[in-house]
Amino acid sequence: MSEKAAGVGTIVHEISCVSEAIQYAVDLNRKEKMRTIACPGLDPKDRDSLQKLCHSSGINVLEEPLRDHAGCLDTSLTWVDYGIAETGSLMLASDVEDIRMATMLAKIHIAILPITKIRLNTESIETELDDILKNNAPSYTAFITGPSRTADIERVLAIGVHGPIELHLLLIKEMTS
Amino acid sequence: MIKTAQNMKSYKKQIRQALADSFLRSALDEFNTVYRANRASVYKEIDFKGLRDAIAENKDSLIPFFEILFEEFKSNAQKAGAIVHRAQDARQANEIIARIAKENRVKTIIKSKSMTAEETFLNNHLEKQGFIVTETDLGEWIIQLKKEGPSHMVMPAIHLSRYQVGEVFEKNTDLKFDSENIDKLVKVARHELRPKFLEADMGISGANFAVADSGTLGLVTNEGNMRLTTTLPRVHVALVGFDKLVADLGSALRILKLLPRNATGQAITSYVTWIKGANQSLNTASGKKIMHIVFLDNGRLSLSKDSVFSTSLRCIRCGACANVCPIYSKVGGHKYGHVYIGAIGLILTLFYHGRDNDRAIVKNCINCQACKEVCPVAIDLPHLIKKTYARVIKEEGKVPVKNFMLAKLMTSRKLFHFILRMAYLAQQPLSKGQPMIRHLPFFVDKDHGFRSLPAIAKTPLRDIWKRIGPELKNPSRKIALFAGCAIDFVYPGQGKDFLTLMKNANIQVDFPMDQTCCGLPAMMAAEEKTAKDLAIQNIHAFVAKEYDYILTMCASCASHLTHNYKKIFSKDEASGRKLTLFTDKIIDFSSFMDQVYTFSQPHQNIETKVAYHAPCHLCRGLHMTDEPRALIQKAGYTYVSSKDEDVCCGFGGSYSVDFPEISSEILKKKLDNVEASGADILVTDCPGCVMQLSGGMDKRKSHIKVLHLVELLAKKES
Repeated sequence: MSEKAAGVGTIVHEISCVSEAIQYAVDLNRKEKMRTIACPGLDPKDRDSLQKLCHSSGINVLEEPLRDHAGCLDTSLTWVDYGIAETGSLMLASDVEDIRMATMLAKIHIAILPITKIRLNTESIETELDDILKNNAPSYTAFITGPSRTADIERVLAIGVHGPIELHLLLIKEMTS
Repeated sequence: MIKTAQNMKSYKKQIRQALADSFLRSALDEFNTVYRANRASVYKEIDFKGLRDAIAENKDSLIPFFEILFEEFKSNAQKAGAIVHRAQDARQANEIIARIAKENRVKTIIKSKSMTAEETFLNNHLEKQGFIVTETDLGEWIIQLKKEGPSHMVMPAIHLSRYQVGEVFEKNTDLKFDSENIDKLVKVARHELRPKFLEADMGISGANFAVADSGTLGLVTNEGNMRLTTTLPRVHVALVGFDKLVADLGSALRILKLLPRNATGQAITSYVTWIKGANQSLNTASGKKIMHIVFLDNGRLSLSKDSVFSTSLRCIRCGACANVCPIYSKVGGHKYGHVYIGAIGLILTLFYHGRDNDRAIVKNCINCQACKEVCPVAIDLPHLIKKTYARVIKEEGKVPVKNFMLAKLMTSRKLFHFILRMAYLAQQPLSKGQPMIRHLPFFVDKDHGFRSLPAIAKTPLRDIWKRIGPELKNPSRKIALFAGCAIDFVYPGQGKDFLTLMKNANIQVDFPMDQTCCGLPAMMAAEEKTAKDLAIQNIHAFVAKEYDYILTMCASCASHLTHNYKKIFSKDEASGRKLTLFTDKIIDFSSFMDQVYTFSQPHQNIETKVAYHAPCHLCRGLHMTDEPRALIQKAGYTYVSSKDEDVCCGFGGSYSVDFPEISSEILKKKLDNVEASGADILVTDCPGCVMQLSGGMDKRKSHIKVLHLVELLAKKES
């Protein structure tokens, strides 16, 4: 998974708990001089600790709905549902609009994934995805593989045309609550 | 906007303009080489052929049932809050979409890339109604600003250089750019288009899959603009062709294994998005997206019932048929399609955009089979292009002069051969007794002067045969030779060399005198009746059961006799057993020499360097790839590889006469590559290729000799 993800430009790190992810996000924001961060879907407890760290660094944790901040969203920190090892892809159910806003509009997307949620290939998550789709409710599910890219000018690969310019994947070795 | 030539005269003019575009030429030539090289590594871990055939079979089983799949999709999508429409044609689709926009008081619209919307000229329609439409895919945005159509189905602006793009951006943004830096140009799109996303009232997308059993759309993209298009505005309309319907998620995932690999050389694209129903959207009163899906028929449903053309609906729009096409790489997409580009474009244009737009472009296929080889859904594109051309001719109700002549001349073998003999006399003032005609008479268009032409032989092989044909007492094998016109009348020497080899191995060779042209030239001209007449004559000329093999040294004849004869006859008329008996016995020269022939003595290695040109109909038509190269080495020569060995030489029979300006450019690249290899001899195993290659080498006064493989081998064996 790590190798394939890195191969498509994802920056991969292994961590041991969520608080490390939060620290990572704050450090990265500081380093890249980003001013805002969105974190839809994070536990209130984790959100609180993010807020505390951000506050001291002058980073603004955006309130939801994120649509109100669509023009100034720098970084996002979200969970993703599955990893697909064969292609280094992340599966993300994003029926909630804020999850979509955060992962589409940000310059930097930091994704958190427990290692136990890594599957071999698309066939091995077919059942999970099909269950989502067969549920008689709207859904918006994505396979995300690396940062946004284009080769539309002279077939030269360029990163970050519309979606995130950087995709970071933080793999949590073992889930501690 | 799109100006597709509607007759040959204006088409020729357009082709000359395209050939003069130096950026286009170098960009596409390089793309052709790089794409094919990358493709091999992308498929290293994937069973391309197995998956391809499974997808094709699955698609074929669904194509007749689009209506049922549509109903199933509709019911599932509507349960999740989407509104599903069907449009009979392009106009109706555009009207439905404009009506949705009006009903929702839409002013601005953003679009992600959709070939189906290109097909219906949706932007034109919406703009006429007063909506402001912005394309957001980078390539589509560039061509929208340039007021052009796409020149490739996946990379719509591949025909433009960074400087041309920079110029367009400067004109439209009042900013100055360093066009050298592509990364900065790309960021212009991010910067300029982001506010448009945020303001837009409606987003329009296409779809790669419409999954019937759940009512889900699947979209395969890289830039992220489609995700914004389907998320930010309050209204989302997806325009989807009926051909995008698949039964279930598994079918879609299987296609997903090939689509990105074949299109852009990626194992998967950056984003694959599955959208079902009206998702949460916090800018509407209901809190839900206003979600419409418009299914486009526009000829697809009648195509789905067509016994010949229904397979064209398998197409998943990967664009690979253009990527590998030697003609596309010379003239670019604006001259090689109407809206749909490449081999599939030459076919679909007739059905989606009418005869006027297909009339000229459909003739521009050299039948090299490169597209068929890479098609991820196994569409027999070269065959369907000829079938499309035949339909155009039929609909026009006017037989082209060339077809009239072919039918008149070729159906009678005696007349055809009489004319070839007369040609020997007629050419004397030009050939002056030499084997090559180097200067064409003044009344022939100068475009044809790119190669010297071989002279017709004084005595055809069939006449010499009576003298030299063997009657062996106890032959080890008995075979029949299908000479083909080129060896019979132009290169009888190759036939003599063949006999020398066979006598050495005690193989009896017969030459049935009633054999005639294989019929490929007639099929190339979509002269179907003549092609069939010739096939019947040949099948009857050979008493197939008397021979171990029917051998031909012409790759094109071999491939035509093996594969196309079976397509020419419908199942019930198959001339029965006789047809299969005949086609099963056909063998090409390289296969025979590799599998059957025993060389008399091992050869000492010599240093003469030999390059190889792989004839289209051998390497792709018959999948003979390694054997001819092995034979060169077996004969003791030093084989040297050259770039693009398996790319067409530009001959294509009458193609090189119909499109000399393109044929000469394809030939030029081929000869440049061979010269760069440092070879002393260029070998191939098709007399047609020999004709083209030696004509080109002669014209550039190269020291490299061009030989048929039989000549090379006979040299060592005699």
